Amino acid sequence: MLAKGVKRPRGEMEGGDPEPRDPSAAPASSLFNISMVKLHQSLRHVEPNLRHLVLVANTLRRMQDQMQREAGGPMAPDSPEAPSVGDDLLLSAMDSSISTILEDLGQVEVLSPARPEEEQPLAGASGARQEPARTSAPCLGPLELLSSASYLLEDSLEDIFEDIDTSMYDCDLWSPTSLSGFKAFSGAEDSDSKALAGAEDRLDMSDLDYLMDVLVGGHPPGAHRGRSIS
Amino acid sequence: MAGAGGGGNDIQWCFSQVKGAVDDDVAEADIISTVEFNHSGELLATGDKGGRVVIFQQEQENKIQSLSRGEYNVYSTFQSHEPEFDYLKSLEIEEKINKIRWLPQKNAAQFLLSTNDKTIKLWKISERDKRPEGYNLKEEDGRYRDPSTVTTLRVPVFRPMDLMVEASPRRIFANAHTYHINSISINSDYETYLSADDLRINLWHLEITDRSFNIVDIKPANMEELTEVITAAEFHPNSCNTFVYSSSKGTIRLCDMRASALCDRHSKLFEEPEDPSNRSFFSEIISSISDVKFSHSGRYMMTRDYLSVKIWDLNMENRPVETYQVHEYLRSKLCSLYENDCIFDKFECCWNGSDSVVMTGSYNNFFRMFDRNTKRDITLEASRENNKPRTVLKPRKVCASGKRKKDEISVDSLDFNKKILHTAWHPKENIIAVATTNNLYIFQDKVN
Repeated sequence: MLAKGVKRPRGEMEGGDPEPRDPSAAPASSLFNISMVKLHQSLRHVEPNLRHLVLVANTLRRMQDQMQREAGGPMAPDSPEAPSVGDDLLLSAMDSSISTILEDLGQVEVLSPARPEEEQPLAGASGARQEPARTSAPCLGPLELLSSASYLLEDSLEDIFEDIDTSMYDCDLWSPTSLSGFKAFSGAEDSDSKALAGAEDRLDMSDLDYLMDVLVGGHPPGAHRGRSIS
Repeated sequence: MAGAGGGGNDIQWCFSQVKGAVDDDVAEADIISTVEFNHSGELLATGDKGGRVVIFQQEQENKIQSLSRGEYNVYSTFQSHEPEFDYLKSLEIEEKINKIRWLPQKNAAQFLLSTNDKTIKLWKISERDKRPEGYNLKEEDGRYRDPSTVTTLRVPVFRPMDLMVEASPRRIFANAHTYHINSISINSDYETYLSADDLRINLWHLEITDRSFNIVDIKPANMEELTEVITAAEFHPNSCNTFVYSSSKGTIRLCDMRASALCDRHSKLFEEPEDPSNRSFFSEIISSISDVKFSHSGRYMMTRDYLSVKIWDLNMENRPVETYQVHEYLRSKLCSLYENDCIFDKFECCWNGSDSVVMTGSYNNFFRMFDRNTKRDITLEASRENNKPRTVLKPRKVCASGKRKKDEISVDSLDFNKKILHTAWHPKENIIAVATTNNLYIFQDKVN
């Protein structure tokens, strides 16, 4: 497929006969295939050997450059004329494979962020780099993330409350301030909840009981019209 | 300390002992993954793929009378790491011991750090050779005596007992590495140590397990841009603020922790320019550094890449001061070695106590020594054949091409499954420990 009429030396693959000093004289296609197989084998592991992966990927890129150079001629390394449709597809497939593979590895840290990220020495704010908690937004800076653990917690909280019927909250009886007090019960560690902790104190026990009754369905929401909720 | 081998004033290496199973069928768990002498050389620790640590102790014989230095016998065996399951990622964390590092001895007990891919543990190994006897309220077997039967009182005394060696985990340093730990190194302040994985290096205090400082982070913001990983790291033996780390691209960075909290900017970058005549697809892979070790003096450091050992002067960054070819005959076989993954083997290297000789392993259970002064080198084999105690090892030779002489081995006959990745040199004497797949060989120089 990539053959340029170069005959593959028999000794090359079997390692028997003494070979030419420059193994790049060997056809790139067989090495290419071997490398792709290695990449895929590497990915069968949940946590691939990163060194192996990176070295194979870099070797593949080298081969890609070589093939592009050979295809495009020495004058046009950056914009090679497509040697053939097959080659082009192969090269772009390889490129995207490598990119996807490495990008997926970025997901590894979303699941279990390493603790040292939370323990940056104070003086190191300039140099300390935090983990992006999502790969879709990799550029969250250190100031935006207090700690990736609490970021995840906040995220999952919204999911928990997703299917709760919030129609009762739309009632006039409930002022926005009391809603924010409810959030304080969640125990989330973000700065918002800390500010609202004071609001929690203002809700006295009778209000809490009423809240519980409404949620459990004991009292219809309108039953205590006129009752003020502070 | 004398030289590497050969005739004249050079030392002659003799077989001393071999530890491990005899049969060829190697149990996966018995594969030795690390070897390390302690600071006095009296203790020799090995770690294996099964997560076990075995410590050997040298017999303290009367050296004037004996024909050889003391033998190493099993002192303690314990399970350091167990296989773990990471439920979040649904994967098993290997219990294989990647590295062992000894702490200098401060009291009667010995301490070492052992690590697998994710967790570092501090172990205390202590001896118990006395036990209290003669309690008033307890029988010897531990049962309590009825106080009313006690008519006299006695003071319990310590009586000698058979030596018991106990290993107990004192600290567990966990949850700080997302990637696989490849190195640990104890600082010369004996209070802190570093641990390095593929992309990060963390600094720990030996007393504190719930946090560590990240001092190197080479993870790109976008993982698609990842092209380089950290392969080894070590603290300088004398300067507690200096450490080095090597990369898969063949570079070594020296960092000074006083410069900034995050040592992403190196103080020095050691890299040898690529030889254009040797360029190939595999140039980067064979330049990947598998081990870096400071000399005892702290003036030099040694790096091991796939085909060579290089000695660097810390004052010169642009090229090594010495280069030794370990198995240059493999250069023409790189394609096959890439195919069977041997090209990714990570060989370690070590210095002798006086920094005059360096040693590293190769294939076919061969290992090589290079004398920096005489510029002579020697190839020896770790094998049970023809190895009686105190028999001098015969130098081996690999025939790269052409007519094979008698006693030479041709490159194609080399067994690439028999690799010596881990070697260690006694800090003071000419005693070396060489690990084949599942056996540990101990060699000594000939004592007259």
